[in-house]
Amino acid sequence: MKDEAENVSDGSSRRNFLKKVGVGVGAISVTGIVGSSLLKGNEAKAKSGKLVKLLSPEGKLVEVDQDDIKSAKGIQPADNETVEQHKLEARAGLPNRKFAMVIDLARCKNARKCVEACQEGHLLPKDHEWMRLYLLQDDSTTSKYWFPRPCFHCDKPMCVSVCPVGATYKRADGIVLIDNQRCIGCKFCMTGCPFSARVFNWKDPEVKVPEGHVYDPETNIPATEGTVGKCVFCADKLRLGELPRCVSACPMGVIYFGDILEDTVTNGNETERFSKLMTDRAGYRYREELGTLPSVYYLPPTQRMFPVESGLEDTDKSIKDRYKKVGPR
Amino acid sequence: MRKKIIYAILVLSVLPFFTLRTFGQEVTKITPYVTLQYLKNSESKRILQTTLTYSKNRMEIPLQGMEISLFTGTEKKETIAHVVTDNKGIAKFEITGDTKLISDKSGAWTFTSEYNGNDSIDAGKSEIVIKDVNLEMSLTLVDTIKTITVKATVMENGKEKPAAGEVVKILVPRMFSNLLISELTLDDSGSATAEFPSDLPGNKEGNLTVLAKFEENPVFGNVEKSETLKWGLTTDYSVPKSHRALWTKTAPKWMIYTLSVLLTGVWGHYLFALISLIRININAKRKAREEYKI
Amino acid sequence: MEADRKLITDLTPEIEKTSIKWYITFFIFLAFFAVGIYGLYQQIDKGHIVTGMRDNVVWGFYIVNFIFFMGLSYSGALISGVLHLFHTGWRKPIIRMAELITIISLIIGPFFIFFCIGRLDRLHFLFLYPRIQSPITWDVIAIITDLVGCFLYLYLSFIEDFAILRDYPDLKVAPWKKKLYKTLSLGFTGTEQQHKILSNARMVMAAMVIAIAIIVYSVLAWIFGVTLQPGWHSTIFGPYFVIAAVFSGTGLLIILMWIFRKIYHLEEYITQRHFVNVGVLLTVIAAFYGYFTFSDYLTKWYGSIKMDSILIDKLFTDYYSLFIFANYIGILLPCIIIAFPKFRTIPNITIAAIIAVTALLVNRYIIVIPTLETPFLPIQDTRPDWITYSPTWVEWSLTLAGVSVFAMLFMLVSKIAPIISISEMQEKDKNEIMK
Repeated sequence: MKDEAENVSDGSSRRNFLKKVGVGVGAISVTGIVGSSLLKGNEAKAKSGKLVKLLSPEGKLVEVDQDDIKSAKGIQPADNETVEQHKLEARAGLPNRKFAMVIDLARCKNARKCVEACQEGHLLPKDHEWMRLYLLQDDSTTSKYWFPRPCFHCDKPMCVSVCPVGATYKRADGIVLIDNQRCIGCKFCMTGCPFSARVFNWKDPEVKVPEGHVYDPETNIPATEGTVGKCVFCADKLRLGELPRCVSACPMGVIYFGDILEDTVTNGNETERFSKLMTDRAGYRYREELGTLPSVYYLPPTQRMFPVESGLEDTDKSIKDRYKKVGPR
Repeated sequence: MRKKIIYAILVLSVLPFFTLRTFGQEVTKITPYVTLQYLKNSESKRILQTTLTYSKNRMEIPLQGMEISLFTGTEKKETIAHVVTDNKGIAKFEITGDTKLISDKSGAWTFTSEYNGNDSIDAGKSEIVIKDVNLEMSLTLVDTIKTITVKATVMENGKEKPAAGEVVKILVPRMFSNLLISELTLDDSGSATAEFPSDLPGNKEGNLTVLAKFEENPVFGNVEKSETLKWGLTTDYSVPKSHRALWTKTAPKWMIYTLSVLLTGVWGHYLFALISLIRININAKRKAREEYKI
Repeated sequence: MEADRKLITDLTPEIEKTSIKWYITFFIFLAFFAVGIYGLYQQIDKGHIVTGMRDNVVWGFYIVNFIFFMGLSYSGALISGVLHLFHTGWRKPIIRMAELITIISLIIGPFFIFFCIGRLDRLHFLFLYPRIQSPITWDVIAIITDLVGCFLYLYLSFIEDFAILRDYPDLKVAPWKKKLYKTLSLGFTGTEQQHKILSNARMVMAAMVIAIAIIVYSVLAWIFGVTLQPGWHSTIFGPYFVIAAVFSGTGLLIILMWIFRKIYHLEEYITQRHFVNVGVLLTVIAAFYGYFTFSDYLTKWYGSIKMDSILIDKLFTDYYSLFIFANYIGILLPCIIIAFPKFRTIPNITIAAIIAVTALLVNRYIIVIPTLETPFLPIQDTRPDWITYSPTWVEWSLTLAGVSVFAMLFMLVSKIAPIISISEMQEKDKNEIMK
């Protein structure tokens, strides 16, 4: 059997891929500015000067130089070769990286911004949440605490072991992804995962995918009926050197993310040494005894910033209903 | 019933006024938030970075594709450039030798970033005053202790002066952000020293970058000095390509052996049964032929 | 080859003529089947949202049916294999039924997996991109192997009968059937050599079928056993499933014996002796099965690992009546009925068998569903109406469709082949068989 990882060289074809596909999800994409403007600051002068009115993603009328716009129609669909090449890269992962997440339970107050950002960022339908917030209580004598749960991206992932068709896979950088064009929907991975991290598309998700968008296992957009979905650690963002959506969205800085090989994690504002955080705050992994070796670490809810009840204060009834059956277990 | 009809007519007659009023109302404009930053990197490249955002539900939302004008000088402003914001609401401009800058008596530059606004967005601007600072960093081994020494001087009224009392951060750039090693306050001579940790991982060869930085200094802006050297631990992380495990592409050997042995055994017996069937058929044919002969 | 006309008329009651009763029964089952097809259409059209399964209980009634039907199949193979291998004299009138159970439920079982799979259109991926680390791949290989093996085994036992039917002069059947018998009998004429080859092959396949049945059903058990889920992650699951399968298969055999005896008036061939013998077998297996069940739950309860405790708590509260029925009544009552010679009448034994089979179906249900309702992380932050599982009409309709297909296939086979092996019945002195 040929290892798919062998076929992958570097990130260069990803860039081609992005160029051909158009950048991601936004309704309009502006070229020539992202990243390259640092060296070509004067570029703006060379523009056509014709301003075009456009509706921004926030629904506001904005004016944009004509040259900056690649209209949705203008996006060239990526050719098959590029898509296939990218699929191989999405299977191999980023070279010499090993990602980890640290979740500080002391700061979480069920603000649910991580959930919202995740749902929006991955165009997920309602009732199909990748990020979940649990209100845990280990025993009636111990205290309740909020417990955000992404996919743990285990190093010995049971879900990957049991997949009969190799639709879900473990990458060298530690990320576990699903190719939902391969998934047959047997749901074995869902029973295999001890952390309920996987969700199934029980019906057609009815996602409005931007025109010209090409399926990419790193975002798993669009969700497909009859297949399994789960948190992807925002592998697409990592490829661009950006933090996962839930990390940037959290107003409390609950979620740290980083490359464990660099011994560094950040929540966007604070950057800490991973090992120091583990030592100082007695970091742990959820249900270590199951031996799946998660890539997500937790800092115990000591000296909390918010009382646990505050997590249900400003929430809708529909959210409160989700925490009716809470008790020690 | 009658009451209902009257009520309906009443509502219908009042409705147009309401609609008219709503149309007549001016759409509230967005109040943008303009920032301007001065960056001087390790190669002494100077960059002006301006951002255009607005706040909605306490979230900062970028304004994309907007033209922003950059100026220099205080009373008599001169245009440096017009730049367009990207999808994060950021626009950058590099100051080169060709760029004409107007400095005041003390030698400081004033930069202004202005957005003119449009139908739905208000105008906005931001101004900074920057003094050019010269940041030096030297990395030495003192008795096997990795030591960082920084020194900063400012040109003031044509004279070089130490940047005493200012804070310099020592950072190590990582994938997503910079890891803070220490924060140094410069002494009267404008210099300070710090010890570099011995247990910080670098890349495969142990290389890492040490970065000294004035971060958002109100006078100097962002000024950096960096150097890459072998001060980190070597990290060797590689997954063997032919790694056999339950969760990899190739299965453990024992699994393949067991399955092969089992299947060969079973299907071998099937073959025996099939051959038996064929033998019965052949036997029957032979017998029929013999009978025919007789 | 020649045979007694009476034997042929008695044992192949449906070959020559088709009764109106046959048509009526067949169409009733066909109607059930049609409802199932409509349910399936709904499921394909609207997605799995029409089932009762949701993100926690991802495997529902379909998987229960799958295990159940596969269990019936393997037990059929085991019973016929063991009885054949040990030359049990009284096996002869009933062994054909066990073989037919094997094949027919083996054909039906996998369809329940197909209903459970989200993307039926990608089923061929199982062969395009197989991963042998996955127990599902093991199961795919195992079921195919089993299907081929059981067909071979069944065919071997049919050859002599086909030869008899071929050679019988005034059998009033359509020409295509005659032709079929001629082809399928492979020119078997009953020479000594042919008999020797055939009996050797049957012996080997009987042994093989036993071995495969054990391995294959263990593989199915391991689909559950290898996961970390509380209640499933148990070393006992392989043998436990095998025993449970034989339990259900023996029960079904008794039920079918009763049905066939009634419908086709086979009182002369299937006697109380057969019921008692198979009934005693059922009791012995029930004892083993009860022992496995007890030892599995005892260790879980006594050890009281948190997740196990929560599961057992759930079984004794939400699933109390089902648990009691499946694991107390369903095991003890058949044992009691058959253990006392006084109670050993044909209707009683049949009732015991019906209890045993339903109890086992319920047992499968309380193995699959409560575990999925007891994940390590409590079920929270999900739609409240998505938490508990109950099968919808779609699942019920497809289940009934499965049962109908089981009956219809039996009826179709009875149109072509003898339901009791003619060759075996005439081979030896009838008295010896009936003894």
